[in-house]
Amino acid sequence: MALQKVRLMPNRIRSLWAIMYYLGFIPVLRNPLFIPFVFSSPFTLLFILFVATGGTALPFGIAGALTMVTTELGLFVGTDLASYKIQNKFQDIVVASPVSPLTYMFGVALSELLFGAPPLIVLFALMAGRGASVVTILAALGVVGLLWVTTTSIGFFFSAYSPSTQNAFIINGFIATLLSVLPPVYYSVSLLPAVAVPFAEVLPTTAAASLFQGALGLGYSIPPLFSFAVLLMAAALLLALVSFRMKWREP
Amino acid sequence: MFALQAEGLTKRYAHGKSPALDGLTLNVSGGQIFTLLGRNGAGKTTFLRIASTQLMPTSGSVFVLGLDCVKEPRRVRERIAVTPQDAETIYPLTARDHIMLSLRMRGMEKGEAMRRTRAAIEALELNDVADINAEWLSGGMKQRVIVAMSIATQAEVVFLDEPSIGLDPVNRRRVWDQLALMRKEGRTVVLTTHYMDEAEILSDTLAVVDKGRLVVQGTPQSVKGSSGGSSMRVEVGGGFSADELKSYGKVVAVAGKNRVLTDTEGARNLSDAALARGTGVSIGPVTLDDVFVDILGGAAEGEADA
Repeated sequence: MALQKVRLMPNRIRSLWAIMYYLGFIPVLRNPLFIPFVFSSPFTLLFILFVATGGTALPFGIAGALTMVTTELGLFVGTDLASYKIQNKFQDIVVASPVSPLTYMFGVALSELLFGAPPLIVLFALMAGRGASVVTILAALGVVGLLWVTTTSIGFFFSAYSPSTQNAFIINGFIATLLSVLPPVYYSVSLLPAVAVPFAEVLPTTAAASLFQGALGLGYSIPPLFSFAVLLMAAALLLALVSFRMKWREP
Repeated sequence: MFALQAEGLTKRYAHGKSPALDGLTLNVSGGQIFTLLGRNGAGKTTFLRIASTQLMPTSGSVFVLGLDCVKEPRRVRERIAVTPQDAETIYPLTARDHIMLSLRMRGMEKGEAMRRTRAAIEALELNDVADINAEWLSGGMKQRVIVAMSIATQAEVVFLDEPSIGLDPVNRRRVWDQLALMRKEGRTVVLTTHYMDEAEILSDTLAVVDKGRLVVQGTPQSVKGSSGGSSMRVEVGGGFSADELKSYGKVVAVAGKNRVLTDTEGARNLSDAALARGTGVSIGPVTLDDVFVDILGGAAEGEADA
């Protein structure tokens, strides 16, 4: 058979779908035990808040869990990417193919998002159950999207510099704690000492949590426009950083 | 036009004292199987990674199908595929999933991807295990899955870094058949291997590199001829001093034994002498393995056989 002289122009959507399908959809179907792993930490904190406060802090728990699930989903992308790069050498195959780095990154990120879909659906259902309007829920979805882009970029960036998969796992776990447990994610920023507030306010997770808290009727501890601006800037800056500084072809 | 051209290619790693590639220059014609040989750390993988746009060179140039790997990596990537060394399968994908993933992410239509996946599965005898978790497969089966991911593509130049490592002789030949088929289709195959028989049987041309430099390049026959024109190898069990053996030809120390590379006349004389002394002797034509050891020194023997 003569060689078919077809230069395969990558259909980005098809590439994205293929990566998402084979690295996300199939693993979720074949091993649904992955899903509780994403649930565990955010829902444990939500449960503790619920029990400890007799249910009164449930909205804070929902806002915190939404932030934490999204943050972990983004950062887990870094762990996955490190594994595909260092252990499986799959990234070598991808680099030497027509697939672009951003298609690959978002393909893996979307595949990870499939694992997070069930907990996110539960949390949005809880939000709706507390009277949030459709517009509010759509706005919250937008916040989830921005935070996801931000944390995915962080995960991707660190995975590129991780010497081992274990290292990536540890670093991303540490960053997840730094971003979604310590800052005012499960509690109001007003509870922080005044000196810490300016630092907390510029964190994308604090911004997202503040917006979720507002959507859940808790009021906005930070002006919502400021929080949106923080999220937008963080997403844009980190995406740009990943685009320009990531090690797709090794130097 | 050459399928692959490297000119003065140099690569220095930040952590390395000496360069991994040191001004390597070589050309590979299209539609052939080209093999890169060398000891561990000779620079083979570094060369493959640069030519397949995974790694930047420190200096020099590489062109694939006339495209500059440094300046036009995207255009190069549309026309190449790679099988990395030591790649592993992805949990919990099956063999079929792996090949489909490789083809679909490159933008191939589903029907064509399925057809090519079936063909690759059949060719590499993975039918019985195509739909079970690839993590459960033996090492050799996993390796065939990884190899299938690149050879099932339509890439015009395919780079394979030690593709037959861990394969039994039967499955090595199955991979060889596929590489030969790719050549028949007009595709160019660039591979590295430590198996000298594989290089000798498969390659249209091969190159030996050492310390990042080209030592010799040519057809297997011409490379074999580069060993001082010797056509025969003779190994004697003992009873000869090294100086004495030198009078018969070129002496190469291999695992404590002396191997003499010589012509037909020299082989006959040495075997007669050995038989007269009641010493064991073995004679055969010079192999690529002999030349490899001769060129790169006896220390390479273990690696050459690895």
